[in-house]
Amino acid sequence: MNALEVKELMKVYPEFTLDKIGFCVPQGHIVGLIGRNGAGKSTAIKGILRLIAAEGDVSVFGKNIDENEMAVKQMIGYVGGGFRYYPMNTLVSIRKAYAPFYPAWDQGKYERLLAQFDLSERKKVKELSEGMKVKFALALALSHGAKLLIMDEPTSGLDPLSREEFCDIVLQLVREDGVSVLFSTHITSDLMRIADDIVYISQGKLLAACPLKELLGKYRLARFCSLADATAAKAIGVKAVKEGYEGLLPRDMQISANVAVSDATIDNIIVHLEKANEEERHAKFN
Amino acid sequence: MLNLIRKELSLCMHPTAFIFLFFAVLVFVPNYPYEVIFFFSCLSVFFCCMMTRENGDIAFSCALPVKKEHIPLAKMLVVFGLQGIILLLVGIIGAVKGAVLPTEQYVNQAGISANLALVGNGAVLLGVFNLIFFPRYFKSPDKIGVPFVIGAVVVFLLIGVFIVLRWATPLYSVTLNGLNSQNVGAKAVAMIIGIAIYVILSSISSQLSMRHFQRVDV
Repeated sequence: MNALEVKELMKVYPEFTLDKIGFCVPQGHIVGLIGRNGAGKSTAIKGILRLIAAEGDVSVFGKNIDENEMAVKQMIGYVGGGFRYYPMNTLVSIRKAYAPFYPAWDQGKYERLLAQFDLSERKKVKELSEGMKVKFALALALSHGAKLLIMDEPTSGLDPLSREEFCDIVLQLVREDGVSVLFSTHITSDLMRIADDIVYISQGKLLAACPLKELLGKYRLARFCSLADATAAKAIGVKAVKEGYEGLLPRDMQISANVAVSDATIDNIIVHLEKANEEERHAKFN
Repeated sequence: MLNLIRKELSLCMHPTAFIFLFFAVLVFVPNYPYEVIFFFSCLSVFFCCMMTRENGDIAFSCALPVKKEHIPLAKMLVVFGLQGIILLLVGIIGAVKGAVLPTEQYVNQAGISANLALVGNGAVLLGVFNLIFFPRYFKSPDKIGVPFVIGAVVVFLLIGVFIVLRWATPLYSVTLNGLNSQNVGAKAVAMIIGIAIYVILSSISSQLSMRHFQRVDV
């Protein structure tokens, strides 16, 4: 059973449309939601959680969120970046207000997580560093027995060490507690480290929803001496670099001997696919 | 719902919500438009909504396992509770004033005396404020100023109307004025009518607010 199934999720704003995206988070998987700033990652997450009025079906462990909102939200742990709420309140006062909403609240687990994260409940939220805020949000989300973690850019604003620590925690949760995770990010090194699958959104449209390895295996990065060579090879999202031009080529494409190729990273794929999209849009307008 | 109300009380209440309850003792100030006491109650609602916004409470609450329409309802129920307390306190402290001060000091030259009819007037003021403020606020909870200014202007206009009635009509200047012991039946009826208006307006306000909030994008 999938932990999360999203079908035709759509939200229309005057200047942006999240265009009927659909994907799933298999149970026990870590799925990275990627895309450039403004691509629609946060809108998608808010739509899934019904924080915004969005169209489309969302099911968590087979239960439709619109029909079982309360039960479904009991199964979800939401971490909206760091903990940005109630800066003047202590962690203990927030926990006391938060815990009663969850019948499955495990105070022992919460205390163990606080000890593991080196957090003091006597502190106020504003006294926490960005990394500590993410950890506090995680402690709250995990102490009510959430089976699905949904996180919106939890690692942005964290230093490399804190990001590494965060990735370790998420991996541990998946391995030991069987939690499934959907998290948005534009820090691709985090994805490479922990993600099983990728959901790639661009301009509100779904460009890819597949295992990370499949996406990485789909393209190769090609370097060309001239723009004419790149155009002739039908490279995707060609852009000038220090020495010549770079673009993506489908892995199964025949490549001439004078083209240097290497494995494409997630960054390469995003950069060149976005460039290709941009060119397509310009071509439409012109 | 109880959990939401508890969360409101522990995380969202501005201190003025409780401090302004003590302003009920202003009924001891001689020759003062006592209806203004109820405006302070409205002001505390404004401060609490500011606190809600600054704390990101709406986004936090929407992620909780609660029905979305219960979020505005819980906030309003807390406010209704506080409004009930200020009405009660004004009634009780007004009665104490009547019991301890001589009649000539009890009669108010700036408006109606601190009696049961004042409680009725206060209930009407609070009900009107609720009807104006909350449905507008819950349409867009980030914008608190405009709904509050509109609500406050209408409340002050109504206070003006009550003061004019106090001087212009025998009903308010004689029958409903003075000690509770005089024309107690009429004063009790005025209070009950005021409270009934409050209940009706606040119920309409709750329904509209819940409906408006469903369409809010957090």
